Amino acid sequence: MDKNKPAYSSDAGKTAGGGAAVQVETFSYDNQIVRSFALATIIWGVIGMLVGLIAAVQLFWPQLNLGIQYVSFGRIRPLHTNAVIFAFVGNAIFMGVYYSLQRLCRTRMYSDLLGKINFWGWQLIILSAVITFALGYITSKEYAELEWPIDIAIAVVWVIFGINLLGTLLKRREPHMYVAIWFYIATWVTVAILHIVNSFEIPVSLFKSYSLYAGVQDALVEWWYGHNAVAFFLTTPYLGLMYYFLPKAANRPIYSYRLSIIHFWSLIFIYIWAGPHHLLYTALPDWAQSLGTVFSIMLIAPSWGGMINGLLTLRGAWDKVREEPVLKFMVVAVTAYGMATFEGPMLALKNVNAALHYTDWIIAHVHIGALGWNGFLTFGILYWLIPKLYRTELFSRKLANVHFWIGTLGIVFVALSLYWAAVTQSLMWKQFTPLGVLQYPNFLETVLKIIPMYVIRAIGASAYFAGVIIMIVNLVKTMKKGHFQKDEMAEAPLVMHNGGEKGHRWLESRPVQFTIAAAVAILIGGIVEFIPTFLVKSNIPTIASVKPLTALEQQGRDIYQREGCNNCHSQMIRPFRSETQRYGKYSKAGEYVYDHPFLWGSKRTGPDLHREGGKYPDQWHYYHMQNPSSMSPGSIMPSYAWLYTQKIDIGQTASKISALRKIGVPYVAGYENVANEELARQALAIQKRLIANGIAVEADREIIAIIAYLQRLGTDIKVTQAMK
Amino acid sequence: MWVLIILMFFSLLVALIFLGAFIWAVKSGQYDDKYTPSVRILLDDDVRKSGVPDSHNSGRAEG
Amino acid sequence: MGKTLDVQLKCYHCGSECRDGDIAAGGKIFCCQGCRTVYEILEINDLSRYYALSASPGTSQKKISTKEKFEYLDHAEASAKLLDLTDGIVSVITLFIPQMHCSSCIWLLENLYKFNAGIQYSRVNFLQKKITIRFNESIISLKNVVELLTAIGYEPEINLSSTEKESEEDERNKKSRDKSIYYKTGVAGFCFGNIMLLSFPEYLSIVNNVDLFLKSIFSYLILLLSLPVFFYCSSDYFSSAVRALQKKMINIDFPISLGILALFGRSIYEILSSSGTGYMDSLSGLVFFLLLGRMFQDKTYDILNFERNYKSYFPAYAVIKNEEREQSIPLSALKVGDRIIIRNDELIPADSVLICGRANIDYSFVSGESAAVEIPEGSIIHAGGRQRGTALELEVIKKTSQSYITQLWNNSDFTKPDENKIAAFSILAGKYFTLAVLLTAGISGICWLNTGIAQALNVFTSVLIVACPCALALSAPFTLGSTLRIFGRSRFYLKNASVVEKLSGINHVVFDKTGTLTSLNERSIRFYGSDLSQEDNEAIKSVLHNSIHPLSRSILKLYPEVRLVETENFREYPGRGLEGKVQGRKIRLGSVSFVIGTEAGGVPSGNSSSVYVSIDDDIKGFFRAGNIYREGLKDLAGCLQNYEVSVLSGDYDGEKETLRDILGTKAKMFFRQSPYDKLSHIKKLQNQNKRTLMIGDGLNDAGALMKSDVGISISEEAVNFSPACDAILEAQEFGKLGEFLKFSKISMKIIYMNLAVSLLYNIAGVGFAVNNSLTPVISAILMPLSSITVVLLATAATNLAAKIKGLK
Repeated sequence: MDKNKPAYSSDAGKTAGGGAAVQVETFSYDNQIVRSFALATIIWGVIGMLVGLIAAVQLFWPQLNLGIQYVSFGRIRPLHTNAVIFAFVGNAIFMGVYYSLQRLCRTRMYSDLLGKINFWGWQLIILSAVITFALGYITSKEYAELEWPIDIAIAVVWVIFGINLLGTLLKRREPHMYVAIWFYIATWVTVAILHIVNSFEIPVSLFKSYSLYAGVQDALVEWWYGHNAVAFFLTTPYLGLMYYFLPKAANRPIYSYRLSIIHFWSLIFIYIWAGPHHLLYTALPDWAQSLGTVFSIMLIAPSWGGMINGLLTLRGAWDKVREEPVLKFMVVAVTAYGMATFEGPMLALKNVNAALHYTDWIIAHVHIGALGWNGFLTFGILYWLIPKLYRTELFSRKLANVHFWIGTLGIVFVALSLYWAAVTQSLMWKQFTPLGVLQYPNFLETVLKIIPMYVIRAIGASAYFAGVIIMIVNLVKTMKKGHFQKDEMAEAPLVMHNGGEKGHRWLESRPVQFTIAAAVAILIGGIVEFIPTFLVKSNIPTIASVKPLTALEQQGRDIYQREGCNNCHSQMIRPFRSETQRYGKYSKAGEYVYDHPFLWGSKRTGPDLHREGGKYPDQWHYYHMQNPSSMSPGSIMPSYAWLYTQKIDIGQTASKISALRKIGVPYVAGYENVANEELARQALAIQKRLIANGIAVEADREIIAIIAYLQRLGTDIKVTQAMK
Repeated sequence: MWVLIILMFFSLLVALIFLGAFIWAVKSGQYDDKYTPSVRILLDDDVRKSGVPDSHNSGRAEG
Repeated sequence: MGKTLDVQLKCYHCGSECRDGDIAAGGKIFCCQGCRTVYEILEINDLSRYYALSASPGTSQKKISTKEKFEYLDHAEASAKLLDLTDGIVSVITLFIPQMHCSSCIWLLENLYKFNAGIQYSRVNFLQKKITIRFNESIISLKNVVELLTAIGYEPEINLSSTEKESEEDERNKKSRDKSIYYKTGVAGFCFGNIMLLSFPEYLSIVNNVDLFLKSIFSYLILLLSLPVFFYCSSDYFSSAVRALQKKMINIDFPISLGILALFGRSIYEILSSSGTGYMDSLSGLVFFLLLGRMFQDKTYDILNFERNYKSYFPAYAVIKNEEREQSIPLSALKVGDRIIIRNDELIPADSVLICGRANIDYSFVSGESAAVEIPEGSIIHAGGRQRGTALELEVIKKTSQSYITQLWNNSDFTKPDENKIAAFSILAGKYFTLAVLLTAGISGICWLNTGIAQALNVFTSVLIVACPCALALSAPFTLGSTLRIFGRSRFYLKNASVVEKLSGINHVVFDKTGTLTSLNERSIRFYGSDLSQEDNEAIKSVLHNSIHPLSRSILKLYPEVRLVETENFREYPGRGLEGKVQGRKIRLGSVSFVIGTEAGGVPSGNSSSVYVSIDDDIKGFFRAGNIYREGLKDLAGCLQNYEVSVLSGDYDGEKETLRDILGTKAKMFFRQSPYDKLSHIKKLQNQNKRTLMIGDGLNDAGALMKSDVGISISEEAVNFSPACDAILEAQEFGKLGEFLKFSKISMKIIYMNLAVSLLYNIAGVGFAVNNSLTPVISAILMPLSSITVVLLATAATNLAAKIKGLK
């Protein structure tokens, strides 16, 4: 080096050789697990969205399912929701958490093995979901449609992820836990509890179970889970990802770190109360409904706190946002988050809800959140992360911009068309002629009116899907260009907790974590025991005339559930004149006392069926199920040809009856032994009526069971009228 | 409406867990410094001068 | 490299212009040797990312500190005091680093372990500009750590006060005290949120009996959740009310505690006897808003310190000469009789006698005299003066703590007027409000007596509940808190919110002259005498160029574009003048006696700081440095019409006329004021029960600042030294002082307006309570509504007023 060596020469700094135990540790970040989750995100994203696109097209062109039962709308809609939520967003969360947690804690993950188990376990669960949904093993509880063995698998894999997360935190080299980590912890804790509470089912066979709760209670638990699954699986982890990846992409600190701390704690203290706003004007007690409304309005503050914090991080860097596609994606994502979290509370207002519940507006609200917030933020992270993992530049920024504009157009088309359809349909439902009679008594007229909007929605969806394809091309070319760096070397000083506190870092943090973990374990154990005893005795005012379903009707209900009829038909008539005139007396809580699980449904693509019993003769149903447009011309309901060939699975009748009795359905003692004879007798009666009307059908076909169930729906109330 | 009690119990349980976490966080000094962590996350990507892939990094002083 | 001057060269390290490109390394240009050295150190340690993070992140390294400056840190006594924790091998130290300003600084300071394996880790707290380093003493000593920081351009500021640590224990409870407010607010927020949601069914009154069981579960849950609110969160209010009672005083916390007690008692009774649902949501809401108000009010500024005394002005070390070797020792180890060496621009740490060297002492900061004073050898120099010129050798005659200026601190009437004189407004409100409440409760209770004891009790407690002054107690913190923030945004930092209230009561403003009315570092220099030709200017500039005397530096500023010319046999007579030959002409600059030889008449005489010029012994004239008054002083004087104004200055009365025509004839002027005279003057004013506001900047004003009702200290830059005071005003905002005073009056008006609004709510509430129809729902609506309206009104009104007054 030149003669005038710097006053403080550097080599004096370097200790020659050993010296005291060097506190600086070199280690490596595990990028392998991050890349595998990234690839899974992309693959499942494409599959989930493709299934969604198919479902969208089937809504105006039912024949697309080519008569194959495994791709009929009822079965692929749950596949779409679970694939997009748990596969696409799930894997994206794991990708983001595994990448950012290591950097935030400046340490490798707690154990690579647990990471691999977490990865392969999650992919296996998704695969099993694809198979079981296609086969019809669906529990009909929205966003929790998986059967009980898979629920257990999910719980196990989620706990493994939790152990990995907690372990990494315990051996972190950075004492401060950045706000994103708190969001990850909140996600893990709440999703664990939500999933366990909502998965209480009595198994009947390997792939059949009945929900422990009944009717109104089942609805409340399902939507307490449903909303919080959206909250703690689609929002909280993504807020964590936003707080890490947005500053990294913009290379600027978050606007106000203090606001993010307030935002987190105010959100988490009371967030878990949400849920009842999904059941406004249903049979839920009205104070619970108002509670849901008030709570949703209160939610605007913390959600918008997050949005403002995210957007203001970019103030002063807007010119960078113009050229940088990653930032463009993130800005639109955060804005969509703001819009969706404002639209939600508005939808929770009772009068707005009265008009828009069961319409396409809800679907639009969901897709602004999903396509805008989750989708775009995931794309933003992928465009930032893949080049970094492969230590190269993005293949083409122009392609990324094209994807951005096509995607945004896609969202706009999907949302606007559904808003338009929802308003049209809702007004038509409620329209009365001056004489006080429904202007559109036939439900089909309201459906035919909005088919063009479904077409526009499908176009928007395919634009969004095309954008994803463009992204894949771009990312694959980027991967080819760079070389993947399995373990990223890093160096960090061993940091004791705040200053030279005595005691080893492990010991110091262990008592705290242990007490919490132990408390949670005991609680969950305790809950599993005492819940069943509590729940069996439900104190809903039972209506004397409401009796449990007969064996044949119960088989018909299970087929109804298998085919996913609740995706398009609701079974909950609200106390509005427009609905009581169209369908009959409004539904009371007492009628659902023996419904395991509840089948209220959340969307009326087809009419409400709760008073279907006795409305049409058996042969109408027979022909309608075979070819819907024969009975109601132009109907978009797919045909169910396989119901006419498949036999009713009478082998399971006995175990079904005893399982239902165990969870409180008052079947007469010993009924399960005579159940099949009674089933056969009832089936013969229906067959005789059909033959009288010139229809040749075997008595053991599934169509008979469906007809029996449909004719029984809502008839228990009428009995009392007749008696009076 | 037993289920309401169950749900309320769980909601309060989760909220209580996080109240405990809040108190632990404040006690263990997580919020003594309310600004530097937001900058610190930006500083961790050490681009190696040599640019050589890291698996066999150039001889840093192992010490 | 013949680079032309016009191309602006920016130093790669610190960004200041460099005259020529000859100092370079690695293809980059630097303005000075220091910057280049830092660049090389970073380059060697593979830390060049420092320059990638932000453009020219460093600070200029022109002034390199001398090698043995940090030797004193080797003394066990000095380092023991500085370290936070040590177990003999591994120790932790926290240092204050003012140069920290960007993410590159954070990055570099947190990668110190890359320089030396001895450093285990270093963490930065950016807002407080502090760094905590844990290092292994066996590998790297404290001195090396500090030298390493200095070598990379981040020299920590260590002064006397940092070597005298507060005792361990009171530092810990200071930290835990401000944490308890977080716990309390967190718990109160949690309970308030959940109680409100749990009491929702009660608002909608569950109808049928089936849910009766549910209702009792909710009530007991609410009861459970309200226990921490009552026993833990509101404990501060109870203790402060009890403390005030012991002093036979009722403050605002007394009615609040009364309200909380009534709320809790009534609710406990109702829930346990299941005769009602209680008012727990109003209780938790009230406590939550009160705690939020307190958090909002005691906003603190991380870097500013309002309790500085002389210790943070004096350096932590002194360079002493024993057996011809210069050695630096901690100041506390300085004994009478030690020989100390003071260099240019260094501070004299203790009263001492000048042994040798030309002393040119600038006392402006300490005694207020603006001009530097020449002190002959053998006379006494007081501690606190700064030497301007060559090195001096002195002999210490008094320890630092007994020196002239520091005696002020142990002067008896130095104590601050008793701090717990809680703001007048809250006592006033407390007393009368409590009286009114107890009276109405009593009377209405008696009226209801004939209908039944139960109703009477009901009415009595309802009045207490609804008339609790939550709105009243919230208007002050939120208004004063927002005023605090508005002042902070226009760089006028207040110690706490009650200062705003004191500001509004001021009627007499006292100014210090040097450093407050006049700005210390810019001095206006004008040339008096016959006009000079172009060659004369070049000659003068060339001679002045090679002298480091501050006066020559400031005269040089008059000739920025003039060309530099070669000067032969330049000689400098320290403290008297300069002499040089330029293009064959003899130039002499200096004091009167040096240039002309005798006190020649006829030549206009300037005061001691004028510099005479003669070319070939022909007197051309002289440069005189006058004080510049801070801009905005004129319109400030205009604003202070309805205040009495007086000026206390330690300086001569040379500027009397100029001050008189600026501040107006009414202003009373006092000159040659020693720190004690200033202190006693303020005491005299206070005896004529005047509410005084003292504005000063130097150590000599410390006494007056402490004594006066409100003490504001002016500082060029918020970080450097300002004596103990109630508020710090940055120099460039001096003109706005009038507006700040006026605005503090406005915020008091806003508080009284809020008072009226909260009284309206109370009247409405009492209306309900008196006719015994205060149901929980009404109270649950009324209480949060009144608190929220007052809070919003307070903050909105203050910010609106600020916008109108243009303070935003």
